[in-house]
Amino acid sequence: MKGLKLGKKSTLLLLTSVMSLSLFGCGSAPSGDSVKPAQDNSQPSESGTAAASGKLVLYSAGPQKLADNIVSGFEAKTGVKVEMFQGTTGKILARMEAEKSNPVADVVILASLPSAQALKADGLTLPYPEAANADKLNKDWSDAEGNYFSTSASALGIVYNTNLVSTPPQSWADLGLPEWKDAVNIPDPTLSGSALDFITGYLSVKGDAGWELFESYKANGTAMAGANQEALDPVITGAKSMVAAGVDYMAYSAKAKGEPLDIVYPAEGTVVSPRPAAILKSSPNVDNAKAFIDYLLSDEAQKLVAEAYLIPGREDVEAEGRTNLKDIPVFKVDWSWMNDHGDETAARFSEVFK
Amino acid sequence: MRPVIMDSQTFFRKLGVILALFLLIISIGVPLLLIFWQSIYPEQHLDWLAPIRTIAGHELSGILLQSIWLGVCVVAGSTLFALPLAWIMAKTRLGEHRWVDVILMIPFMTPPYIGSMGWILFMQKGGYLQQWLPGAARWSESFFSFGGMVLIMSLHLFPFLYLLLRDALIRIGGNLEEAGAVHGAGAGYRFRKIILPLLLSSYGMGAMLVFVKTIAEFGTPATFGRRIGYYVMTSEIHKYISSWPIDFGKATSLASVLLSVCLVMWYMQSTVSRRFTYRLVGGKGQRSKRYSLRGSKGAVSALYIGLLLILSVGIPYFSVIAASLMKLRGAGLSIDNLTLDHYKELLSWGSVSLKALGNSLGLSLAASTVAVVLGTGFALTIGKSQGRMQRVIDLFSLLPNTVPGIVMVVGLILFWNAPWMPVTLYNTYGMVVLTYVVLFLPYTVQYVKASFTQIDGTLFQAGQVFGGGPLLILRRILLPLIMPGMLAGWIMTFTIASRELVGSLLILPPSMQTSATYIFAQFEQGQVSLGMAMAVVSVGMTVVLLLMVEAMNSKRKWNAS
Repeated sequence: MKGLKLGKKSTLLLLTSVMSLSLFGCGSAPSGDSVKPAQDNSQPSESGTAAASGKLVLYSAGPQKLADNIVSGFEAKTGVKVEMFQGTTGKILARMEAEKSNPVADVVILASLPSAQALKADGLTLPYPEAANADKLNKDWSDAEGNYFSTSASALGIVYNTNLVSTPPQSWADLGLPEWKDAVNIPDPTLSGSALDFITGYLSVKGDAGWELFESYKANGTAMAGANQEALDPVITGAKSMVAAGVDYMAYSAKAKGEPLDIVYPAEGTVVSPRPAAILKSSPNVDNAKAFIDYLLSDEAQKLVAEAYLIPGREDVEAEGRTNLKDIPVFKVDWSWMNDHGDETAARFSEVFK
Repeated sequence: MRPVIMDSQTFFRKLGVILALFLLIISIGVPLLLIFWQSIYPEQHLDWLAPIRTIAGHELSGILLQSIWLGVCVVAGSTLFALPLAWIMAKTRLGEHRWVDVILMIPFMTPPYIGSMGWILFMQKGGYLQQWLPGAARWSESFFSFGGMVLIMSLHLFPFLYLLLRDALIRIGGNLEEAGAVHGAGAGYRFRKIILPLLLSSYGMGAMLVFVKTIAEFGTPATFGRRIGYYVMTSEIHKYISSWPIDFGKATSLASVLLSVCLVMWYMQSTVSRRFTYRLVGGKGQRSKRYSLRGSKGAVSALYIGLLLILSVGIPYFSVIAASLMKLRGAGLSIDNLTLDHYKELLSWGSVSLKALGNSLGLSLAASTVAVVLGTGFALTIGKSQGRMQRVIDLFSLLPNTVPGIVMVVGLILFWNAPWMPVTLYNTYGMVVLTYVVLFLPYTVQYVKASFTQIDGTLFQAGQVFGGGPLLILRRILLPLIMPGMLAGWIMTFTIASRELVGSLLILPPSMQTSATYIFAQFEQGQVSLGMAMAVVSVGMTVVLLLMVEAMNSKRKWNAS
């Protein structure tokens, strides 16, 4: 017993020395890092639009190369330093939610229109109706009051492996045929904003009868497989033959690399999924944010969008190396219905595919 | 005993306990409380029933049972892998091949989703196996099942259990077994009556870690589980955290269910280990006996290790490396489809990927060092968890392991980014280190505790008798004895921190990447080959580092003896 206590004593001595060391460690090691940011974090948030700070925090979903190019183009043009967080729409929204009490981001670019509509409805966006070239944007995809601007878009189609599929299906219903049993992937609408846009868009046109399509998919062994890229990858490697509601720009860029891929847009119509950018109301660098939106809408940035195989948001800019928007058969979808019914549709879809 | 000593002793003990509690409450308790607050305070008004409604609104019981069943099966699976291996490595000549240990750490260094991806690429229709053996289609069908998931997860997690069991077996030493043999006990009887009871406390700890890791794991359920339609609690939680509409309240309600399961497990484990803890490290010299296995026994043991290495490292890494070398992923395995371009792109000077690698290295070095220092302190305070306060500290330092990482991280963000915080740590390098330390503190605590509880108090007494001051006792007795535990904790923290993904995705300052987030981004962007190349490079780097540590460590042992 005595030995035990002595043991305790020595360990406690160790403990206290260790603790004080570690306390100093905690206090001093990060201080070089943390003191400075603490200062410049507190100042801009109080003094608001101090554009002189010369930085912009961007949260961007979508192809990274494109975002990198846009950021370096913007930096070269304005000299503003851009800090970018790159992730999926879901990750960006989660990050914003976590930072709610002390936001850092100035501009977000999302891959789903309903999310931007929700941000606007929650009063989180800062309107910028004076944005240059905003009048040239596709009216259906952008906010009339300037809360969000869809600077690019992608269309959804049937992406197929050309080694495995010689005559691609021409209609959405074909994927329910026995010919394609167990050969089709569909992205998970809770992870892929564009897949959700397709499903809600299809339902907004077909009404409740539209569910028959997805039920026939399920009956035919279609697998719900993660976000867009996760659904596409097995098709590239040949484990699956096709993706239903696949994002077209991914297919075009993989095809350009030489992968055995191609895409068809069913003649009956499909959904185009716009990618909105918005300034946040909490933005500490409003002037830089506005300059960034102006840049996104400029000829230069729209050209970069086109080079990434996306559909440019401005109607006067042509797409490159891909089907133009006017040649894609599009459903007459109801965006406000889609925004209102997104959650329940995603839930019911997961229920069907579970 | 002199009362003066008593006083200073109790004073130091109290001080230590208070300090430990304070640090744990700040770093773990308050963030979790904030999360809980979010779940009962969703719409600016207090609503105690919100979490209960969330739980009731789900067909939760089924998913919860699936989580628990998976956990139980994975514990069984990893025991099957770990126990024979631990015996071979502790008791036979084969154990002198220390490199095996380093290779067995590779499953840890691999992000779980990469490991599962490797298996999927290998086994799927048109996968690497079928490209060699077209007749293997039947295997792949039976592989994509619950059994396959248990296999993948067991192969990923068994090293936890193995390390704990091996260390325990080494500490048991040969003397006790020899004593049994002298008294005429057969091998089976000796195992049952001597080894098993002595192993039980370490096994309980390891089994609990594996169980908790399994039910809090996200990577494999997200890749493999989704494919076979096996849903667990973490998939539900992630749904609320990573897809619109984000609802931390609901996520935390579900997380609290998971937390309760883990707490029940922890309670059971601590009861068992309190009953079965023995002082094994006494003053007498240790002589560990190593059997030299000859003939068929040796062959079987070597074969067993070989098979385990192939399954846990060989197959996944074959796929990962193959994928990283492919020009076109659609063209399959063939010599003219191989290229080193991805590595060239990855390692070109000044590239984003090199910076990411550097960040990973720096962050995990800092985090593992801080975690070892803190964790050792906590473990020594907890001691043999006799007092209530000690058990509270034990529980707190274990919490990060029982809460899904993402929940812990959200709590940390809520706390450190709160407007009333005087120091905004959020969005700095320090925040990342803090997160890693909090997330991985339990490893050091568990490992050091495991070695500390087995030290006999008479050793310190002896030191005292021979006039050693507290510092001398600390330096010459305590530290050398808990060093292996500290080292294991450091290695574990370093390895896991260098591949941490879920937290890093949320917590890294914008425009800063680590190797794990880089890999993940490449997957998201469709650059699978580039991502796989990064996995190979970062794991390779970690292996080299561990080999260096291992070499230094074995030299140290040699000097001491």
